[in-house]
Amino acid sequence: MMLARRARDWLPALGVFVAGIGLWQGFVKGLHVQRFLLPAPSAIWTAFSSNQNQLWHEGWFTFQEALGGFAIGCTAGILFAIIVARWDLLGSALMPYAIAANAIPIIAFAPITNAWFDPLTKTSKMVIAAVLCFFPVFVNVVRGLRSVKPEQIELMRSYAVGELTVFRLVRVPTALPFLFTALRVASVLAMIGSIVAEYYGGSLDALGANIEQDASLFQFEKAWAEIIIASLLGIGFYLAVVALERLATRWQPREEIVGA
Amino acid sequence: MASVAVERPLAEDAPVKRARRRGLLLLAVLVLLWGFWEGFRALGIHYGWQRPFTVDATSMPHIHDMIWALFQRPNPEAPLLIVTLLKAAAFTGREAALGFAMGATGGFAIGALLAHSRMLQRGLLPYVVASQTIPILAIAPMVVIWLASVQVTPWVSVAVIAAYLTFFPVVIATIRGLQAADHRAVELMRSYAANRWTVLWKLRFPMALPFLFSALRISATASIVGAIIGEQPSSIAGGLGGAILNFAQYYSFQPQNLWATNIIAAALGIAFFLVVVAAEKLVVRRAPEHVA
Repeated sequence: MMLARRARDWLPALGVFVAGIGLWQGFVKGLHVQRFLLPAPSAIWTAFSSNQNQLWHEGWFTFQEALGGFAIGCTAGILFAIIVARWDLLGSALMPYAIAANAIPIIAFAPITNAWFDPLTKTSKMVIAAVLCFFPVFVNVVRGLRSVKPEQIELMRSYAVGELTVFRLVRVPTALPFLFTALRVASVLAMIGSIVAEYYGGSLDALGANIEQDASLFQFEKAWAEIIIASLLGIGFYLAVVALERLATRWQPREEIVGA
Repeated sequence: MASVAVERPLAEDAPVKRARRRGLLLLAVLVLLWGFWEGFRALGIHYGWQRPFTVDATSMPHIHDMIWALFQRPNPEAPLLIVTLLKAAAFTGREAALGFAMGATGGFAIGALLAHSRMLQRGLLPYVVASQTIPILAIAPMVVIWLASVQVTPWVSVAVIAAYLTFFPVVIATIRGLQAADHRAVELMRSYAANRWTVLWKLRFPMALPFLFSALRISATASIVGAIIGEQPSSIAGGLGGAILNFAQYYSFQPQNLWATNIIAAALGIAFFLVVVAAEKLVVRRAPEHVA
């Protein structure tokens, strides 16, 4: 029963995948599309399997940057949010600025972090990923901590419960779904942020620097293989956060949409 | 009666008061940021901080130097920096605006399609989600080559890259928004023999607007990021992305120029965001409570 439902949920997606790859391969081979325009999936697969060791090495390098940035940015975002949400006035005063700051193209600051830290280090990319993660987490956690129903607080007060216990028993559970929504966004941002920051100069052990170099040397099969690694790692990161969310918010009803 | 007459002017004063308070707050925040920057800089230089980064005049130029740099010529033949940067911002803004329009329209169309078919949603939505983990900016050079082969000018290619970054939040918000209509309202319209199309435009679409606008606010920023980063592999020098690359090369001599460029880029991002917020205020009068 469970298995049948699973299959029904995923079969259409699988069908689209197979059909998509088939069409792509047929299109490239049938119409003799030049390889610099669009390499065939089979050619990308060859590049992927023959460079596997190097590709995973690059991917791991970049993934460490993304993970470090994610950890730093999200921790800072949560801590600041807890401080700010503690004082209502401070929260409502600062929120518009945090939201506006989120509209700043932060990746464009990558050349500056490259100048601050050695561009060959992981730190220079981690900082960009961290700043990218900070704002959505901060904004969402503040929202979550403040979306507690007044009746719940009043009930707790009527039991003469301390501020800290209210925080633990009421505010944190209310804020968790908000937090995880932000963490999912942040996981994707951290990965993309690290890769794009590497375009502005970085170690050749890294994915982004290699994608840029291969694309400019017209080695598109390898560039695509690197993009596949980046996507696999990005999807893995995202799914890990989703799994963590399911564990942490078991009482919440599941949403239908995967990405929302 | 008397109390009403006394209270009325007070009520009219409130927006003015609020505006003044907001202005003061903005000033306070800016002064605070300025103080933090200059304070950190002064302490760092005085004590010779090497961590987290070496604090000196190159890594942290004075804020007044960044502003001052806007009104100077980077080299004797060049126009004032602010003129160059405003032109670049207009160029990038045009790419981003076109990309935003394409991405928002396309995203809404895809979202509306997926919202009406379970099957399509199951088949395609995982890829819409997965598409976001693909560093599109990585294939930006290829996108430019593809589109150049069908005679598309480079700046339009950059707009396509911006559109790709724009469409995802809109798709998700459209699906959620179109499905958020109250079942009773849908049933009521059905009982009046309204067809699917009428239900979509008269009921589902207005209900989806708040969702849509919260997505458009995210997309506004994404389109600017897409335009700035997309310019790099396309070797377009006229926009902000080109300016950032250019000044990044001279960072050790004139750090304030890169900072000034990034200030303009930040301002462009915030301006785009505010335009969407203003449009939302005009279109959506009432705010449903459950929109994140």
